[in-house]
Amino acid sequence: MIRVQTEDVDIGALITAAKKPGTGAVVVFDGVVRDDDITEMELEAYGDVAVAEMEKIAHEATVQFRLLHVDIIHRIGRLSVGENILIIVVSAGHRPEAYAGSRYIIEEIKKSVPIWKKELTRDGGRWVAGEHGHGAGPR
Amino acid sequence: MIVKVRFFARFRELLGTDIPAEPENGATLLSLVRALAGKKKEGYDAIFDEHGNFHEFVIVMRNGKRVEHGDAGTVKVADGDEIAVFPPVAGG
Repeated sequence: MIRVQTEDVDIGALITAAKKPGTGAVVVFDGVVRDDDITEMELEAYGDVAVAEMEKIAHEATVQFRLLHVDIIHRIGRLSVGENILIIVVSAGHRPEAYAGSRYIIEEIKKSVPIWKKELTRDGGRWVAGEHGHGAGPR
Repeated sequence: MIVKVRFFARFRELLGTDIPAEPENGATLLSLVRALAGKKKEGYDAIFDEHGNFHEFVIVMRNGKRVEHGDAGTVKVADGDEIAVFPPVAGG
């Protein structure tokens, strides 16, 4: 399941669904809204392009790390401190592939998926700078 | 010819988004975005430098595919195109 959506997800159900035949390890990445003296966080996406880019990343990770299952759910809209932003669930035969595949996916998302975050504060708000400033964006 | 221009994040706040435009035949990506952004100085300055070129960090897409800055002045827009202009991504 590769989605950009406002709703939260049932991570337990995703883990259950990830246990395909041959699975020896499931790795879950759950990125949450950190309390950086903010009131809320607002997320915005270029929806179709974001999903297409995440599908491409999931495929690359599946091939490169022999993953058995990949879910990527990136939330948008207004989120409170502690809420889930991004959930990545991967399964593989062994833990090295599962960990490496999960790490690959999150790092590639940060490089190329067109999603933006604005931290809302009592004084207004500030857009979060991308980690890959120059030349970032879908390939 | 009708095309749609989508600005995102800070550019959207400054210029709006999902803007229908009717560029003249022969209009390029660069000329189209310059004309739209030029309606508001703060928005224009966020996207273009003093020479009227895209800032290095600005990302331009046509129908979901990235267009290099060096090609934006020659790539002509076509009827039905969706043009997207946005700052560096910051998801995850």
